[in-house]
Amino acid sequence: MPLNIDWQQILLHLLNFVILAGGLYFLLYKPVEDFISKREAYYADRQKDSDRRNEESQALKAEYEEKLGHADEEIRARKKEAAAELEKAIRARNAEAEAQAKEIIEQAEKAAQARRDKALEDSNRDIRKLAIDAVEKLAISSDSEALDKFLDEAEREVRHD
Amino acid sequence: MKQRKKGMIVWLVLIAVLVAATIAIGPAAGHEDVRIAMRDAVLHEEGRVSLFGIMDVNPGLIAAVVINATLLVIAALIRIFVIPKFTIVPGKFQLVIEQIVGLLDAQAGSKTPGKRSFVGAYIFAVGVYIFLGTLFELFGIQVPTTAGGTVTLPAPLSDINAAICMGCLSYLVIVLGGAMGAGFHGVLAALKEFSLPISMSFRLFGALLSGLLVTDLVYHYAVTSYVIPVAVGVIFTMLHAVVQTYVLTMLVGIYYHEVSEKPEPKPKKEKKQKKLRPRQSVQAN
Repeated sequence: MPLNIDWQQILLHLLNFVILAGGLYFLLYKPVEDFISKREAYYADRQKDSDRRNEESQALKAEYEEKLGHADEEIRARKKEAAAELEKAIRARNAEAEAQAKEIIEQAEKAAQARRDKALEDSNRDIRKLAIDAVEKLAISSDSEALDKFLDEAEREVRHD
Repeated sequence: MKQRKKGMIVWLVLIAVLVAATIAIGPAAGHEDVRIAMRDAVLHEEGRVSLFGIMDVNPGLIAAVVINATLLVIAALIRIFVIPKFTIVPGKFQLVIEQIVGLLDAQAGSKTPGKRSFVGAYIFAVGVYIFLGTLFELFGIQVPTTAGGTVTLPAPLSDINAAICMGCLSYLVIVLGGAMGAGFHGVLAALKEFSLPISMSFRLFGALLSGLLVTDLVYHYAVTSYVIPVAVGVIFTMLHAVVQTYVLTMLVGIYYHEVSEKPEPKPKKEKKQKKLRPRQSVQAN
């Protein structure tokens, strides 16, 4: 054969290579490929897991944001309610205070009136007493008839009061 | 400092003496003629080696057997001692192994239809064999020939028989890929590339033989045996190993992908629309 081509040696090379290819496949290629595949699967799982967790956290975030939105509304409503209650309480307190003040004023007025009436009565009585004393002194010194007449008149007035 | 200078001077003098002596003495009596050496590197008519005493074969086959045995032992050691200790975050050695497997496996193409693992495994084996087989000639292992001399074990693929084996086997894998991936259509597509085994075989043979011949030529003369082999013998061999591995694995990957792809069904021809008569077209308007 030209170029020293030898079919037997070609077959021997083939046999040699088939043994080598099989050996390398089972000893090196397949275990390493399996390991690489396992690692890819491991990272794919982790990726999937982290995606799922991310989705869950996004959902939680949305839920909390919604809750927070509601909380603001609730806070606003409570504040409004509290303000209304406070207004009501202030009004009630003011009304009560006004009523108390009115009562106190009325009582004070009544007390003042009573004191004035009493003072007037006392002064009237003192005046009358002084008048009677003065008249008695005059009567002693003047006509008895006129005196009697004056005394009768004074007594009538006293009775009338 | 002085001692270092002295050492350097001694070293340079030694080199000069050796070069001068080699040139002065000249070739030994009965030294092989360069034409015979070149012819024997191609045809192996004289430099044949006994295969376990069974038969006389080319040194390339012995080199292939040595590489096979060495690779299998290394692979077994890695399988037993290294692979069980693989971790999710790889260490240096694990990274190297994964990169080698990944790089060669990537030549199979991630979108290759059919049995992708089959062609991936084949490309891995071929890649490792060609790369390490080409680098093997750097070791310069000497074996006795049946003629009584010695011969340096060459790269296995510089033997025409090994190159034919590799080219035909690669073609067979491509045909098988076509059969498995696209059935009869795939086989036909592969058979259309009938020149592929020849081109693959002779590309490998030519590339590696030329490297071998140049190296042999350089080492044949004493004058060119200094410094030049560093470039010719080492750097070119390493480049050769990378290029030939890349070329063959890439070709196998591409052709395998091409023939194993199922043909797309031809789109049905649309029925020709009846031409509207002038009156109908007017009504339509």
